[in-house]
Amino acid sequence: MNLERLPNEEKLSLCRKYYLAGFAFLPFLWLVNVVWFFREAFFKPTYTEQLQIKAYVKRSALGLLLWVAVLTTWITIFQHFRAEWGEVGDYLSFTIPLGIP
Amino acid sequence: ALRTNRRPMSGNGSGPEQNGQPPAARPARVVEAEEDEDEELTLKYGAKHVIMLFVPVTLCMVVVVATIKSVSFYTQNDGQRLIYTPFPEDTDTVGQRALNSILNATIMITVIIVMTLVLVLLYKYRCYKVIQGWLFLSSLLLLFFFSYIYLKEVFKTYNVAMDYFTLAIIIWNFGVVGMMCIHWKGPLRLQQAYLIMISALMALVFIKYLPEWTAWLILAVISVYDLLAVLCPKGPLRILVETAQERNEPIFPALIYSSTMVWLVNMADTDRPKRNSTEATPPQQQAQEASSSPAATAVPQDDGGFSPNWVNQQQHQLGPIQSTEQTRREVQEMPSARPPVEDDDEERGVKLGLGDFIFYSMLVGKASATASGDWNTTLACFVAILIGLCLTLLLLAIFKKALPALPISIFFGLVFYFATDNLVQPFMDKLALHQFYI
Repeated sequence: MNLERLPNEEKLSLCRKYYLAGFAFLPFLWLVNVVWFFREAFFKPTYTEQLQIKAYVKRSALGLLLWVAVLTTWITIFQHFRAEWGEVGDYLSFTIPLGIP
Repeated sequence: ALRTNRRPMSGNGSGPEQNGQPPAARPARVVEAEEDEDEELTLKYGAKHVIMLFVPVTLCMVVVVATIKSVSFYTQNDGQRLIYTPFPEDTDTVGQRALNSILNATIMITVIIVMTLVLVLLYKYRCYKVIQGWLFLSSLLLLFFFSYIYLKEVFKTYNVAMDYFTLAIIIWNFGVVGMMCIHWKGPLRLQQAYLIMISALMALVFIKYLPEWTAWLILAVISVYDLLAVLCPKGPLRILVETAQERNEPIFPALIYSSTMVWLVNMADTDRPKRNSTEATPPQQQAQEASSSPAATAVPQDDGGFSPNWVNQQQHQLGPIQSTEQTRREVQEMPSARPPVEDDDEERGVKLGLGDFIFYSMLVGKASATASGDWNTTLACFVAILIGLCLTLLLLAIFKKALPALPISIFFGLVFYFATDNLVQPFMDKLALHQFYI
């Protein structure tokens, strides 16, 4: 769908819905929100709803950064210590690589 | 099926009359000139859309071929078959194998025909909720279950460890955002990307679970069926398209990929309405819903414009698949709550059903998986399909009504595949053997 053709209230509503839905463990949705509304929020001539859209985009970006930090930490820990954790490591693993590192 | 919404355009010939002024005021040759211009624009319009459809079709094929080449899971014969193709192909005699594949293809086609008829009936009697629910379930199946399997196989191939937590996050995000983009509102590019991915997943499932001869036979028979269903007056797809047009309803966005390109007609004649020329993002593909999971899911495919309907009713564990017919059928959109402005813009586009994507990719994927000529054959099939698509779009620009997108492309694809595999490749091998360059 093309954002250009939407009236401003609908843009705001869409942005808000994407922002709220992102709280359901959906950082990807926040990413989509940020990328999609970035130009709308920062590079368009001002209109009434733009301030709120900016706020949502900023908060989505914040949430996204938080998630990225958490996931990166967890993945690093997991990949590094998986072999050492023995049974627990295997239990957590979805695919286990073959061979000897 | 390939469809273009050019109704607003085709009315241009009588532009001056729309202004309420008597046509008699205009000299006849001006009207003729307008018609000529209109036709020229028609062809240019068609050409732009050809190119806009090339990209997604190529992308889908690239994804499928890349997966086939790298992930061996999709070319392994595990002995599992779809419930729709119960006859095995590893038989003792060639005759037995041929018979089995013919029976398999017959069963599959019957299933598809039945699905198509069911969908048309549901549409005719306005059971929109059922259709929507069906499409929803299918895309759910595809986005979650099939992508889970795909991800698992990719991780296995690259020998990467993955934990359940990260995996859950990935699949959950991928699936939910996909459902939102396809069935609700989302950025156009992302929607198209999801439709391409869904088509590729479906094509991969087909490639894995259909035995060889059955697959080629099914491709051929489906093209014939597509031709009949869309062009014959009593064909289910045609009925679907016509009913949709009568009711003036758009086709399901979830099943068709549309290349909405809003087009600016800059005519010297000021009577013509000016339109925006925004290069729309790649065609909105409608997700084809192929339901192949153990649960019976239908995959609706839009044909009209190109939405592939996937009808999957699979009880098989991996039960894939669906009725491509359905995907081919134009799924009439349920009256949507979208503002009319959107519809206008989306009117000017060529729509390609997801089923068409799936079968094109399936042909190229099968060619890369099983051909002795390997890359030669794959490239030949790829070129053949694109040429077929060009021709189909050309015909679309000329006839301006819903056309089946499969027959020409699949026919060329099949001819090129068998010719290259059996004639060109041995020739090239011999030349290379004797180091003879031409």
